[in-house]
Amino acid sequence: MVQTMPGNSRLLDRLPMVVLRCLAVVTFIAAFVAPLNPARLSERINQNASLFTSTISYSTTGSEFIRALDRGWIEQSALTFTYIGALITGLAVAIIAAAFCLSLGKIRMERLSVKIMMSGALAGLAGMGVLRLALGMMEGTSNLDHVKPMNPGGITAFTVLFAAALLVSAAAWLRLPKAVESDRYEIEPKYRLFLMILPFLVLVGLFSYLPLWFWRVSFYDNYIPGVELASEDFVGLKWLRFLFGATRHDILRVLKNTFVMSGIGLATAWLPMMFAIFLSELRFKSFKRGVQTLTTIPNFISWVLVYSVAFAVFSTEGFLNWMLESLGVITEGSNYLLSDKYLWLKMWLYGTWKGLGWSAIIYIAGISSIDPQLHEAATVDGAGRFRRMWHVTVPGLMSTFFVLLLLGISNILSNGMDQYLVFENHSTRSAIEVLDLYVYNIGLGRGSNIPLATLVGMLKSIISVTLLFAANRASKSLRGESIV
Amino acid sequence: MYKEGRILKYMYKQSAGDHVFNISNAVFFALFTLLCTFPIYYLFINTISDNGLVLAGKINLFPEGVHFKNYTALLNVGALKNAAVISVVRTVVGTVCMVLSCAFVGYLITQQQMFARKIVYRFIIITMYFNAGLIPWFVNMSMLGLTNNFWGYIIPAVVQPFNIILIKTYIESIPKEMEESAFIDGAGYFTVFSRIIFPLSKPILATVAVFGAVGHWNSFIDSMILMGSNDKLYTLQHRLYIYLQQATNLERLVQGGSVTKEDIEAALSSRINSMTVAMVSVIPILMVYPLMQRFFQKGLMLGAVKG
Repeated sequence: MVQTMPGNSRLLDRLPMVVLRCLAVVTFIAAFVAPLNPARLSERINQNASLFTSTISYSTTGSEFIRALDRGWIEQSALTFTYIGALITGLAVAIIAAAFCLSLGKIRMERLSVKIMMSGALAGLAGMGVLRLALGMMEGTSNLDHVKPMNPGGITAFTVLFAAALLVSAAAWLRLPKAVESDRYEIEPKYRLFLMILPFLVLVGLFSYLPLWFWRVSFYDNYIPGVELASEDFVGLKWLRFLFGATRHDILRVLKNTFVMSGIGLATAWLPMMFAIFLSELRFKSFKRGVQTLTTIPNFISWVLVYSVAFAVFSTEGFLNWMLESLGVITEGSNYLLSDKYLWLKMWLYGTWKGLGWSAIIYIAGISSIDPQLHEAATVDGAGRFRRMWHVTVPGLMSTFFVLLLLGISNILSNGMDQYLVFENHSTRSAIEVLDLYVYNIGLGRGSNIPLATLVGMLKSIISVTLLFAANRASKSLRGESIV
Repeated sequence: MYKEGRILKYMYKQSAGDHVFNISNAVFFALFTLLCTFPIYYLFINTISDNGLVLAGKINLFPEGVHFKNYTALLNVGALKNAAVISVVRTVVGTVCMVLSCAFVGYLITQQQMFARKIVYRFIIITMYFNAGLIPWFVNMSMLGLTNNFWGYIIPAVVQPFNIILIKTYIESIPKEMEESAFIDGAGYFTVFSRIIFPLSKPILATVAVFGAVGHWNSFIDSMILMGSNDKLYTLQHRLYIYLQQATNLERLVQGGSVTKEDIEAALSSRINSMTVAMVSVIPILMVYPLMQRFFQKGLMLGAVKG
């Protein structure tokens, strides 16, 4: 009991700082979540804007509102107050974020950060006050039907956060040990490095992790961009039942397309390896290099450009028709892009045309790292050229091949949408629609069933990640090496 | 591409079968190379030949009646000029931002004493293997105010996990002593990065820059989805896609038979237009690629073999 006392009291001293840091992080994240935007005082204000957006751009707060302003439904001052409130709150969040960074420093820095945190929290509370004032002004206008003022949940949420930050920083101030003469304002290298990388982590969080939050859209009845999800629209697994009920026909067709096209790709996964092996057998160095350079060019051409090339070559007036006509194979030209014959094969050919030279590069690198002595030894033992290829080069490339194959298997559901989007037209649609394209088509393209599209995308992501981990596990147990 | 040792050359005599193999192998690669390059050549001769001959499908192997009016005509299309400017600015700004930040992140990640280094690295790298999906991404972008906004092209592409892996692997191959001696001389992390690490990792940075630039130059899905209501921000590839859609639809009408003379004419002129625009967007890639190729095969191989 006696022995644990010092530890406990140190923990108690540290606790407020830990809570304070967590509060700062939560406040910062909340500034990027649209439903928690405290500056959305009217239903006319863009509902998709987060506090961050409202702070950096006046027009986002006002764009939907300009009309109301022009018609004289509200006073300019109400709008100005809204914006000032958003600005103060945004600044407060920025101050709190800065204080969070400083709080990782040594004791003097930490004490400074608590002071800054306190002022940030005060500024935030002031911002909330201004926003409440603006709300009052909006509610006071005569045209309530047009202005549609509303009390955003964000005001309450942020008031609570700021008040908590104020209280906890006061507690931390009392608990923190005093700085000694020898202490200086500095941050340990390990935290300095962390702070330097932090902005990039925020970017990753914003663009890779924050979207996961919108998976919840798939559990709601309807989603209109810019309108917040209402709890009465919660439908649970309705869309999952819908997917395998009403649209079962579609989804089965799409899955078939996806599996066939990925399957062809997997079945021919050895092609780049063969390409590299045979390329390495070419005698003349300059020829070899020329081939390698020119065959990788198509990889750097976008799918739109591939389509335009295909359009030039395969359409009615194109090269292929000319050639077949002059050879006397056909008498009248037709547009091959508008036919759905051999579509899967054609898609694979386009992909191979674009990617073969490029995917061979990794094998070329692999071949150059095979020990020449192995070849010499095989030659001494009387192995011919093909035997050396088969018994020396191929085994040397197998591990690369295996890794790429496993990655290919875990990507079986993701064919990408660029290629299929550009080649899609009325006659090819039903055979070309792969999962990625289907998501686009039902969500943003022809249809606008956003919950269903979100659901399909979500299932796809979950299955892909599961497959990846399975592949990784398989690789670990088979080769004792992980691929991820 | 293994280097044949002396013994191998001495020991191994070329047989007749080998000669047959060598020749057929060379012929195969020559044909495949032709297959990769001819379509682009074909596109090119069709844009510089006499338009009448082109539309009759007469230009197939060599250009005839060479002129450059198709290219000068494009200059008069305001939307295209605008799209070209957007594409160029986007490619330059996006690539510079991406290379600088990926290089910096790659450098920081190599610093062993960083707080929570492993977690930080995994946090970034794991995003290579999952994504929330198209719709959540779109909704998120609109929530952040990056739809109909030029920065919607730049900011999301700043941190690229794969490029960070390549750069980190490369930096790890630079001798530690160089950094350490700079630290002893009193340099900070920024100085070490900008004076030592950055200049030393030029080959890999060039590789990454090519990837980034080509990616920016080629992408059209983001333009299509994010910039829907603001056609001033459309990229060149997006414009090209729109032209091609029109051309295809017109061809379909013509093939279906239910057309007027104007439809046919429109189909034909949109055919030449789309070819010219395509050529305009291929040319920068063809010009930059051979210059950079020397750099980046080295850089990529190092990264690929190690990572």
